[in-house]
Amino acid sequence: MSEMWQEAMVEAFREMTRRGVLFLPKLMALATFLLLGLVVGWLVKLLLMRILKAVRFDVLSERMGLTPALGKTGMKQRVPHLIGRLSFWVVFLFFAFMGVDALDLPATANLMSTMLGFLPHVVAAIFVALLGVLLANFSSEAVLIAAVNAQIQGARLIANMVRWAVVIFTVAMVLTQLGIAKEIVVAAFSIIFGGIVLAMAIALGLGGRTIAKEALEQRLRREKTDDELTHI
Amino acid sequence: MQRGGWEQVQEQCPEVHKVDLLVGLPTFNHASTVESVMNAILSGAKASFAHASILVTNADVGSQDGTPEIVKRTVGSLFPLALVNPLTEGMSANPFAPNRLSYSGMPGREEAFRSFFTIAERLQAKACVVIDAAVRSVTPEWMDLLAQPVLEKDADYVAPVFRRQRYEGTLTNNLVAPLTRALYGKRVACQTGGGYGFSGRLASLYLQKDFWEGDAARFGIDSWMTTVAVAEGFQVWQALLGTKIQDVRGTTVDVSMMLAQAVGASYHYMERYQDVWEKHAGSSPVPEVGRPIEAGIESAAIKVERMVKGFRQGLRDLLPIWEIILAPETLSGVLTLGLRDEEDFRFPLPLWVQTVYDFAVAYHEKVIHREHLLKSLTPLYLGRTASLVLETIDGGSDEVQHTIEQGCRTFEAMKPYLVERWRFQ
Repeated sequence: MSEMWQEAMVEAFREMTRRGVLFLPKLMALATFLLLGLVVGWLVKLLLMRILKAVRFDVLSERMGLTPALGKTGMKQRVPHLIGRLSFWVVFLFFAFMGVDALDLPATANLMSTMLGFLPHVVAAIFVALLGVLLANFSSEAVLIAAVNAQIQGARLIANMVRWAVVIFTVAMVLTQLGIAKEIVVAAFSIIFGGIVLAMAIALGLGGRTIAKEALEQRLRREKTDDELTHI
Repeated sequence: MQRGGWEQVQEQCPEVHKVDLLVGLPTFNHASTVESVMNAILSGAKASFAHASILVTNADVGSQDGTPEIVKRTVGSLFPLALVNPLTEGMSANPFAPNRLSYSGMPGREEAFRSFFTIAERLQAKACVVIDAAVRSVTPEWMDLLAQPVLEKDADYVAPVFRRQRYEGTLTNNLVAPLTRALYGKRVACQTGGGYGFSGRLASLYLQKDFWEGDAARFGIDSWMTTVAVAEGFQVWQALLGTKIQDVRGTTVDVSMMLAQAVGASYHYMERYQDVWEKHAGSSPVPEVGRPIEAGIESAAIKVERMVKGFRQGLRDLLPIWEIILAPETLSGVLTLGLRDEEDFRFPLPLWVQTVYDFAVAYHEKVIHREHLLKSLTPLYLGRTASLVLETIDGGSDEVQHTIEQGCRTFEAMKPYLVERWRFQ
């Protein structure tokens, strides 16, 4: 009995040691990958920030309305810094996944290939989001100025509506790109967007018919008023 | 491919190789006015330049009312005539600039002018006179007034000056002309349309490719021609042409678009000619030809309500944009204007000049999209115009002219502010 117990103990210890010895290089590989991730991520971040600084990307993002737009969402960091941090984490995660893959655990099998397969979607989604923010700012600014110059009272409301329409559209596109609840997003977007357009059409048709008629007449006929000057 | 209508000239007038005077007539559906304009041109050419070799060129951009046929019939065999279509040189509408029409209201006018420049250069024309076909008040003397300074006095550019109603051309008088005067030191009225005279030398310069870059030449050929001539140091004259009665057509170009085109052209050339305007101080008058123009015609009372309302709405809604464009001291000055009653509303000249200069610096720095920047100036311009009307409401044309002149001097006096901000912003 005692021998059997001893044998079982030794066997378990041997197995444990064998497994430990086999696992140790994998663990070291993970640690190395994490360390490499930190170093390479930091280098990429540094390089990217230098390039962005050289091309005056912060001025460009300020001009395109990206910085103020992010400021409104509570992000106080400058855009190049934000992109630098993002690049760091992307690179670090990339190495971290390689490390986890190196552990060869059944639970994380093919993690790396899955993540790599998903990466293009993430990159595309980031681009779509970035373009969406820029487009939302640009179009709302254009609409605001045009509405103010046309002396439309609800200029800011119209501009905000345009901004949010573009933002909602962008969010829907990003979620679709990421494959998150694709069908629900498309259906929800169609219902909301279609509903808004229908509501506006009904509102204009029933409530604002006269105003629309007058506005169109005024615009198309361009009757001369007392305050109309020859500007040029 | 046609090159600015030159091949059409060669086909139609093979015997013409060199001319003293090129007469250009840009047209687009001008059947109702073109005959009288052409008759005045022909009478003027016969009377003043009987011994000169002349080519009449009609650059028609696609009239559907038989305008070129009327021109052909009217000219007959008096002078060689070339009918060209400037839009056949492979040009096409810019798909990214839909619904954009220059403030002249005539589509393709810029291309028509480009044709005249090309033909003038190829024919080594000593002078070129371009007269708008929509102007009913063209008289035979116009030919002499526009061509004679070029042919006999070595002028390179003859700009038109008309007798105008006291508040006519407020954008030109309050912004474009004072800015041009302060920048380049020449007192040109910067009035647009009607008629122009220019030398073959200047036409060749106008044809240089880089001048046509950007929207300045494409949507504001009139102010573009004046600015380039003045900035390049050419001999600029002004022809006092009397009253301009024009066939006004409905145009979709609104105030903000007009402002963006005219002011955009001025700002655009500020970047190109920085080294020229930075060293100029003060201004000098340019030589004039023609009978002195009497005081402007009194116009009907102008209601400023809508203009003040436009300014106030701008102040309320465009403030975040103005905060980016204007210097803090300018912005605080503008903010206080919103507190005044309509009757007491005043937009002080120094503040207006500072605003225009701040916008120029912001345009240069590209702080926001340039078209947005230019259009966001509209409420401020309406505010200044309302102020001009209120300041001179009890006075006549002389008082308006006096205020405009004061504005020009303020632009000149405050130029160091612009130079400093432009350099060190």
